[in-house]
Amino acid sequence: MTLARRRQFAGAVFALPAILLVLGFIVVPIGQAVYYSMTQWDGITASWIGPSTWNQAFHNPTLWTALRNNALLLLSVPFALGLPLAIAVLLHQRVAGWRIFRSIYFLPTAISWVVLGLVAQRFFAYQGTLNSLIHFFGFSATNTNMLGYESTALSALGITFIFTMIGTNTMLFLTGLATLDTSLEEAARIDGAGRWRIFRSITLPHLRRFIQLAFVMTVIALFSALFSLIFVMTGGGPGYATTTMEFLIYQTGFNQGDFGTAALYGLILFVLTAIVGVVQLRLIGSDE
Amino acid sequence: MAEITFDGVTKIFGDDIRAVDELTLHVAEGEFMVLVGPSGCGKTTALRMLAGLEEITSGTLMIGDTVVNDVLPKDRDVAMVFQNYALYPHMTVAQNMGFALKVRRESKVEIDRKVREAAAILRLTDYLERRPKALSGGQRQRVAMGRAIVRSPQAFLMDEPLSNLDAQLRVEMRLEIARIQRLLGVATVYVTHDQIEAMTMGDRVAVMRGGQLQQVATPQDLYDHPANEFVAGFMGSPPMNLLRAGVEGEGENAFLVLGAQRLAIPASYNTSHDLAAVRGAGIVFGSRPEDVEVLAGEGGDAIMTRVERREALGAEILVHLSLLDAEGTSAFVVTDEGKVVTRPSTLVAKMGPRADVKVGDILKVRFNPERFHFFDADSGASLRRV
Amino acid sequence: MTTPLLDPSESPVIAPVRRRRRLKSGRVTLFVVMVGVAVVMLYPFWVMIYNSLMTEAQFLAGKGFSLGSWSALTSVIPVGQEVLSSTIICSASIVIILLIGLPAGFAFSKLRFRLSTVVFLVIVSAMMVPLQAILMPEFVNVTKLGLTGGYAGAVLVYAALGTPFSVFLFTTYFRGVPDELIEAGIVDGLGYFGVLWRLVVPIAVPAIATVTVLQFIQIWDDLLVGLLFIQNTSERPITVGLAVLSAGRTTSIPQLMAGSIISALPAMVVYLGFQRYLVKGLTMGIDR
Repeated sequence: MTLARRRQFAGAVFALPAILLVLGFIVVPIGQAVYYSMTQWDGITASWIGPSTWNQAFHNPTLWTALRNNALLLLSVPFALGLPLAIAVLLHQRVAGWRIFRSIYFLPTAISWVVLGLVAQRFFAYQGTLNSLIHFFGFSATNTNMLGYESTALSALGITFIFTMIGTNTMLFLTGLATLDTSLEEAARIDGAGRWRIFRSITLPHLRRFIQLAFVMTVIALFSALFSLIFVMTGGGPGYATTTMEFLIYQTGFNQGDFGTAALYGLILFVLTAIVGVVQLRLIGSDE
Repeated sequence: MAEITFDGVTKIFGDDIRAVDELTLHVAEGEFMVLVGPSGCGKTTALRMLAGLEEITSGTLMIGDTVVNDVLPKDRDVAMVFQNYALYPHMTVAQNMGFALKVRRESKVEIDRKVREAAAILRLTDYLERRPKALSGGQRQRVAMGRAIVRSPQAFLMDEPLSNLDAQLRVEMRLEIARIQRLLGVATVYVTHDQIEAMTMGDRVAVMRGGQLQQVATPQDLYDHPANEFVAGFMGSPPMNLLRAGVEGEGENAFLVLGAQRLAIPASYNTSHDLAAVRGAGIVFGSRPEDVEVLAGEGGDAIMTRVERREALGAEILVHLSLLDAEGTSAFVVTDEGKVVTRPSTLVAKMGPRADVKVGDILKVRFNPERFHFFDADSGASLRRV
Repeated sequence: MTTPLLDPSESPVIAPVRRRRRLKSGRVTLFVVMVGVAVVMLYPFWVMIYNSLMTEAQFLAGKGFSLGSWSALTSVIPVGQEVLSSTIICSASIVIILLIGLPAGFAFSKLRFRLSTVVFLVIVSAMMVPLQAILMPEFVNVTKLGLTGGYAGAVLVYAALGTPFSVFLFTTYFRGVPDELIEAGIVDGLGYFGVLWRLVVPIAVPAIATVTVLQFIQIWDDLLVGLLFIQNTSERPITVGLAVLSAGRTTSIPQLMAGSIISALPAMVVYLGFQRYLVKGLTMGIDR
């Protein structure tokens, strides 16, 4: 066998396990989901019904509640990007002890969202930190219980989500700032530009790709990583107030045993993330 | 140790890119063969086919008596020095040098002995436990050499091994590599685009262009008798002056027509060169810069030129001259006729450092009559009879 | 006509002094803000530690401290068993991810074979598929394989979910390795497996560290896979243990917090020790 053939053979053999694993556990299930979404399915026996199941599922108000919750949670994205951006710029000033601050700011990133959810529960609870703070500032008659009411539970979830994203996004932006050529800033300063001007005209454009990446990662997390928080903090309630798509899939499949509908919801989530994913591939691929 | 034979070796990339075209070349046992040419001329591809890293499209390639066309690199018993050295970053110098032996399951003692031997030759003994990162460019280069040496292979293959070094180190390593090659007496194929390396290192030099072999000869022979216009222009710095000219007259009375001026052709060239065939037609006349001499006083077989530019290099001065035309003022202009090799309308003369010339001077110059070169204007081939 | 340069108030003697003073007070403000952010980011740790240092009674009364919750911890939460499970699941998954990702990355970057570009794109796209989207078919498939009892199913799912990213990261990393290095190995007598094992893997140590750290934190902190794919309570990881207990709503909060601390510690240690590899992994693809 010639060297070129050997190379190709080795390449195919080396890639095979990855191909099989991804095919078997990710690609094939997508196809299965399409099939199962058109069946009456309890996990063991599936009886074919056809695309009409879709029609039925789309008339289920819970689906729209979940989609609405996802849409509302998107409102937290600007905060999940803006706060880390501000923190990264602060850290980038290299104030005394900035390395320690950096480590502290990143530390919560290591913790499981299960644990952060437990902590957030303590924060928002009736005897929790939030009410202590409110009392401390003199509003002793005011008591909140954000997780207990449909009107506020989603906000509490959003705030927790923002907190959990701070570490990762700050890290991204700080990395971006580190690649900024300081001579550019100096040149701008010599040209008479003020701080805000420099930030607007030099720093932000430079961070563009990092901000795009952070945006995509944040949105994907919002669609597919809230499960731990919801499971621990609210269980999707009160009512369906904090049930997002991913949690609805879990509930429909495992609490109601309706595997077929859950598979369909999975497909909807897949389409939503695929849209975001295409954007991310664009970003990664655009410099190749 | 063995000889290397390329016999009509061709490499075609994709459907129609002929990187190497019918290369036939013989490297004798212990010979230092330099493959030289501009980038993209096929020299590196030829070397990689010899190493076994590139498949041969057609032709036969032999190392010793074995046809190696389908032999895997590891079974060819050749060692290669790469342009960027390709040292294994996670191994020490000693491990790098001994790696090929370790792969071939030689004993530890034996590996250690060979590595020390090679390190002594290369003056690397003090660095054996370092990693490549901690070495200078020249030291890394020597380790790359050492990796080849320890194997005592049938042949050394070197791919521009000096191109990443600075100028001074390059001169040093040129001598060093030549010394080691002679010491070990292993057939070596050395690829470079640098004609100075080719001239100073090779026992013989093979000049390539566009995948085709142009000429194989000893460096001096190549310099004195280039087989064609390309080789004439490629070897030597500054390159040979090449001027479009006509040949008129016969025998003793043959002369060159250079624009408005004439220059007698010494009679001996009528026998050594095939000038009869091109009489009346255009040829390319060549003369090396060091063969252009200023003539003082009246008479003599010379042409009139004007100094256009002057480059003082310390040890010598390069004087750029333009030929004067009938009016004695404007410069000689040559149409290029779409040839690959450009024929400058000016010529360059190498002069001594004290030569008293200024821009604008009108100089009478002659070409060393022993060292005329004639090339066919169409094919570029030398008109010299072999 | 006056130009700014001739303005006496901007004379070079005065300007630096003023400027420095302004800078200094700015730095102090900055420092205070950063301490404020640090307090917020450290809040979860304070909640966990503070609450864990109480007994259930003290917690309900809102005063008093003791180590009671810690000493009784193992009787409520099988912490040792759960940490061990988490460790086993993490290690096994990561080993598989590396064993599959390294050869595949080498193949896609250096051993181009037929269709390798297309296959690579498929695998990288799989990075964007959230587990929830294919949760139902995945769960049924793994159940049918009989792997939902102990570690095996979860490990396989984690490995499959982690493989696309590791293939992407290793491919990108190996693209930066010069071809000559591999050719040198070939000329030195190695086959492609030898090149992979003896040259490529040792060079890839930083990339291996990045994949290991990222996957460790991701898997250690995950809830969903452990919750659904490990049905033997004796083999469930600590995040599942905590989440299930908290969902029960009868567990003592101080003990839940003590358990949380134990679950958070390993990830934090890994995190602080290998921060730079994490950053590298996150910005892979745009930080070049």
